[in-house]
Amino acid sequence: MRRPLPRLTAGHPLQLVLGLTIWSLWFVALYGGLSVACAVAPPAPTQGAMTGLNLWLGLLTLATLGLLGWLARACLTAAWRERGRTRFMAALGAGLHLFSAAGVAFVGLPLVVLPPCL
Amino acid sequence: MVLLSLALAGCGGDHSILDPAGPAARGVAWLWWGMLTAFTLVFLMVVGLWLAAFRRRGHPVRSAAQERRLGLGWILGGGILLPGVSILLLLAVGVPAGQRLLPLPGVEAPRVIEVIGHQWWWEVRYPHAEGEVVTANHLAMPAGEPVDFHVTGADVIHAFWVPRLGGKIDMLPGRVNRIRLEADEPGVFGAQCAEFCGAQHAHMQLHVEAMERDDFAAWLEARRRPPPQAEGHDTAREAFGEHCARCHRVEGLAEGTGGPDLSDIGSRATLGAGVLALEEGAIARWLAEHQTLKPGNRMPAHDHLDAETLEALGAWLETLRP
Amino acid sequence: MSETPHSASGDAREAERLHRELAAVWANPRGWRALTVVNHSTLGLRFMATGLVFFLLGGVLAMLVRAQLALPDQAFMAPGIYHQVVTMHGTVMMFLFAIPMLEGLAIYLIPKMIGTRDLVCPRLTAFGYWCYLFGGIILFSSLVLEMAPDSGWFMYTPLSSAEHSPGPGSDFWLLGITFVEISALSAGVELTVSILRTRAPGMALHRMPLFAWYILAMALMIVVGFPPLILGSVLLELERAAGLPFFTVSGGGDPILWQHLFWLFGHPEVYIIFLPAAGIVSTLLPVFAGRPIVGYGWVVAAIVITGFISFGLWVHHMFTVGIPQLAQAFFSAASMLVAVPTAIQIFAWLATLWLGRPRMALPMLWILGFLIIFVCGGLTGVMLALVPFNWQVHDTHFVVAHLHYVLVGGMLFPLMAGLVYWLPLVSGRMPSERLGRWGFWLTFLGFNLTFLIMHWTGLLGMPRRIYTYDTAMGWDLYNLVSSIGGFMMSAGIAMVLLDLALHFRFGRPAPPNPWGADTLEWSLATPPPPYNFASLPRVETRHPLWENPALGDEIARGEHALADASHGRRELLGGEALTGRLREVIHLPTNSWWPLAAAACLAVVCVALLVRLYPLALVAFVVAALMLLRWSWENGAHPIAAAMGDDEPEAPPLHSRTHDGPGRWTMGVALLADGAFFLSLLFGWFYLWTVSPQWQMPERSPLSLPLLVGAGAAFTLGALWLERRLRALRAGEDDGLATALFAIAALGGLHLLLGAALLWRAELAPTASAHDAVLLVGLLYTLAHGLLAGVLAGLQGARAALGLVGARLPFEPEVVALLWRYQLGVYWILAAALGLLPRLIGGGV
Repeated sequence: MRRPLPRLTAGHPLQLVLGLTIWSLWFVALYGGLSVACAVAPPAPTQGAMTGLNLWLGLLTLATLGLLGWLARACLTAAWRERGRTRFMAALGAGLHLFSAAGVAFVGLPLVVLPPCL
Repeated sequence: MVLLSLALAGCGGDHSILDPAGPAARGVAWLWWGMLTAFTLVFLMVVGLWLAAFRRRGHPVRSAAQERRLGLGWILGGGILLPGVSILLLLAVGVPAGQRLLPLPGVEAPRVIEVIGHQWWWEVRYPHAEGEVVTANHLAMPAGEPVDFHVTGADVIHAFWVPRLGGKIDMLPGRVNRIRLEADEPGVFGAQCAEFCGAQHAHMQLHVEAMERDDFAAWLEARRRPPPQAEGHDTAREAFGEHCARCHRVEGLAEGTGGPDLSDIGSRATLGAGVLALEEGAIARWLAEHQTLKPGNRMPAHDHLDAETLEALGAWLETLRP
Repeated sequence: MSETPHSASGDAREAERLHRELAAVWANPRGWRALTVVNHSTLGLRFMATGLVFFLLGGVLAMLVRAQLALPDQAFMAPGIYHQVVTMHGTVMMFLFAIPMLEGLAIYLIPKMIGTRDLVCPRLTAFGYWCYLFGGIILFSSLVLEMAPDSGWFMYTPLSSAEHSPGPGSDFWLLGITFVEISALSAGVELTVSILRTRAPGMALHRMPLFAWYILAMALMIVVGFPPLILGSVLLELERAAGLPFFTVSGGGDPILWQHLFWLFGHPEVYIIFLPAAGIVSTLLPVFAGRPIVGYGWVVAAIVITGFISFGLWVHHMFTVGIPQLAQAFFSAASMLVAVPTAIQIFAWLATLWLGRPRMALPMLWILGFLIIFVCGGLTGVMLALVPFNWQVHDTHFVVAHLHYVLVGGMLFPLMAGLVYWLPLVSGRMPSERLGRWGFWLTFLGFNLTFLIMHWTGLLGMPRRIYTYDTAMGWDLYNLVSSIGGFMMSAGIAMVLLDLALHFRFGRPAPPNPWGADTLEWSLATPPPPYNFASLPRVETRHPLWENPALGDEIARGEHALADASHGRRELLGGEALTGRLREVIHLPTNSWWPLAAAACLAVVCVALLVRLYPLALVAFVVAALMLLRWSWENGAHPIAAAMGDDEPEAPPLHSRTHDGPGRWTMGVALLADGAFFLSLLFGWFYLWTVSPQWQMPERSPLSLPLLVGAGAAFTLGALWLERRLRALRAGEDDGLATALFAIAALGGLHLLLGAALLWRAELAPTASAHDAVLLVGLLYTLAHGLLAGVLAGLQGARAALGLVGARLPFEPEVVALLWRYQLGVYWILAAALGLLPRLIGGGV
């Protein structure tokens, strides 16, 4: 009597953790990628912030931002549509995705200014 | 408010962050005063609103929708907008401020001074093509130009910190960390180990002296030669060779390792990394009482040496000044 | 309101009969057998009482510190003693007071708030308590023996390593804290599962009291946050005792790894302490504002955000170790980000007060004190998140002041509010307003006198942890003021405790629901009966008591579910995690000696390791493991648990007759903790590999590929077979189950054998290189799991043969299967990380 995996809908409890989990994974990738790159092949400090490393990490940041924005939008539209518990979950999910997106943008900002490995 | 009134009482002191003597420390001091002002306002506002909520009389009757709107307004305004704007501003100020402290590659490579933390004293090395100069617990640096400090720890983790010049950096065994500091003017600054490093962490101070560029060059030059040998003091030299030379180095006389280099000890400001001021007779006192003055320090007690020998040693060591 | 007219005396008689029936099943034994108690109320109070004792001891240590620093050049304590006292003050307050105290509060309150009778693993609660008590005693005894740890409460290596701390001090810390953490983890696991699976029917997640949300977040954070420190402690103890150089540069290790592992735990820890305290505020404040909290959903979002973000801040404790500035900027920004959820809560509370009609009572006074202190601490926290400022004030008294503002403001003050608020529930008596107010003001003013000025001392350059200072520094006056404030605060705390003690005797009797609260715990009699609810109500609102003030009477009269204990089982209702829809009747284990005995054995292990009697440690460990296995035997249809019989309910069924009882969730959450431990280990491996200054990767991997793959294949085969049998079991087939389970266990044994051969053939030199040391720990980790998986499968085979597991009792194999799946994943990941990756990339990095 195994049920099929529940569809990932806006009311699913996974929405409680999905956005911030993406934030965390992005954060780990960012910090880990930077640390490993600086240990293996640090770009010359004379390049300032305009290095390939900053560029790659910046692209990763933008992609994550896009994903979170899309998820937030999906939850938000569902929150307008639904009622009761599903609405609560969807609205909560939308808020959390939005916050995660803002968090990605905010934490990613220094990429524009700082040289990577100093 | 209490803080402000205290501020009038003085920000001075050898170790005060708020009495900056270099660009890095000055930037941070300004950051502090700015943040203190802004955050005091935020603090007063938040606490004021809470108290006002308690004191309010006469509660208007509101519909559920009105209440919801009002509540949402509080949360969006105070919970999202206020911290959001604050931290954005702070990051906008903070990241460039931090960037200015970086040892960025510039036109001219700054002078490098190496500092090595030991339990519980400082070894300072001045690399130079014509021969390295080594001192202990006393750091001289040129004023008016940036200096790169390359720091490391010999045993445990220590931290290099000259509060009036700028931020601190950990001294890690097996790694070399770099920090760039500059002193505006010649002067004397206190420095202390800032990472807990064991029993005598409290007594691990470094005397930092910034000098004019020429004076610094002369200071270095004087230490590149063996210290002048004062007349007499033969018994002291002999005792030194017998009891001290395994750990201590004196240029041209002993090549001990493990303890501080004593080649210019007579010219230092303090003994025991800040325990005693170096006055006449201070070294002999230190030699006799160092385990009381700085319990647990790594130099063995000298109970087996008689007072005369210790006094002779002290008198001779005081003559070791370039 | 019920339609049928009751005669008042008939109601009372019925309530009395029901009480006697339930009490016969749930009551605590007296005398020696009180040591076997597993009831959550009793254990919650024991946790809190023990925590209070450690709080007082930690406070005495704090006063010793302030006495020493009151004047310059004091010789009140020798430096060695001073450093022990400082280290123990931090350690005791964090590990032996703050966490266990809040756990105790949660253990006591959560079942009452979510409308159930006990936590899902009562014996685990008891086991956790004994681990805490024994661990605490062992740790604190070191101070009495003058052998206490003295390298600061975060135990940085190499200062805490064998070379620089040769005495047993560090061992006391590492072993004692690890022991205490078993209790934190067990509380974390069972609180999570209890909140998710045993809420009152109808209490969907979005109707749960906010306090339960906070505790759920805290519990999950404990589950994920403590394992990194446990790993760190295990590695450091291995380095100290056996010379495995994880943190020694010359052996290829790195002292910074310890800092990462410590703060990976240490920063979430701050929020583990703060969240439940904020939960107290979110519970009390609406009661005294006389209206529901404004922005329930916002607060829930803030809790979730805090829970996650707090794991992304740890490096802000390490801004001075020389990490690239860009990486520091990430952590700086993330640290500032946490201001947002905090501000959301503060303004949600403010809006609640603004829109309500706030009453001033003693608990609210503590909450106001909390607000003032905590906002101040939060603001200095944002300052500290700014990297350049942090470089200046890091490790000065500014940080000491900040952390006390956050921890005392963010934890102690709300805790006091909560204690005063819930005292009538525990004792049936009201605390004294007069004495309580004196206590509050002395504590509040004393606290601010001590620590407000300490910010300034820090800015004047006083580093933390110095045992003395020279008068020339100009710090005398400020330190003296701090010390005076400290003693004032102590007087305040003493007064609060006096009030607490006196109220049990002299307090005026509390009326039912004295504060006019909305949550279920106030529907109980004061003090509550051991079973909490005589009948379990349906709850479809966030404010059950505001909507139905008569709920308490209805419950006592048995008008709701499970108003029957004639079967002799301790029963409660299990529901769906999300909706709270009814799923099963959970039967709980009863009082037992096993938790105490197992914890005592582990205490012997701990002491034996301390005095380096390794054979004794091994024997005691094996005995403890056997006891735990024996304990697990009394399960399901075992006569001591719930034998098959005619009196068992059909709809909903008993949980042990289903496929997905709470035990499976417990295993799942426990494996989450295990996974966090494993990820920390993987992190350590990759960290050392890429960053450690003198890391040496051997030319050829010492792990034999055929053995690596062979051991994995054996286990994979067993795991697949187990899954097949589970599918059959779900379809109702249990022919040959016992034989199959034995065979699966045998495959586990083969796995173990090949794994042992792999380890043997590798000829590791773990004391010579960190590489080999990590390999050894990794292999031992996975082998231990293989062993456990095999043994449990074998025991399941035995239970199947005895008829304790089968088509009608399919529950336990499902639980064991989770462990098999976990080990399957972990083994292959480890094989890839340790065995394959170095072959692919080579040792060049």
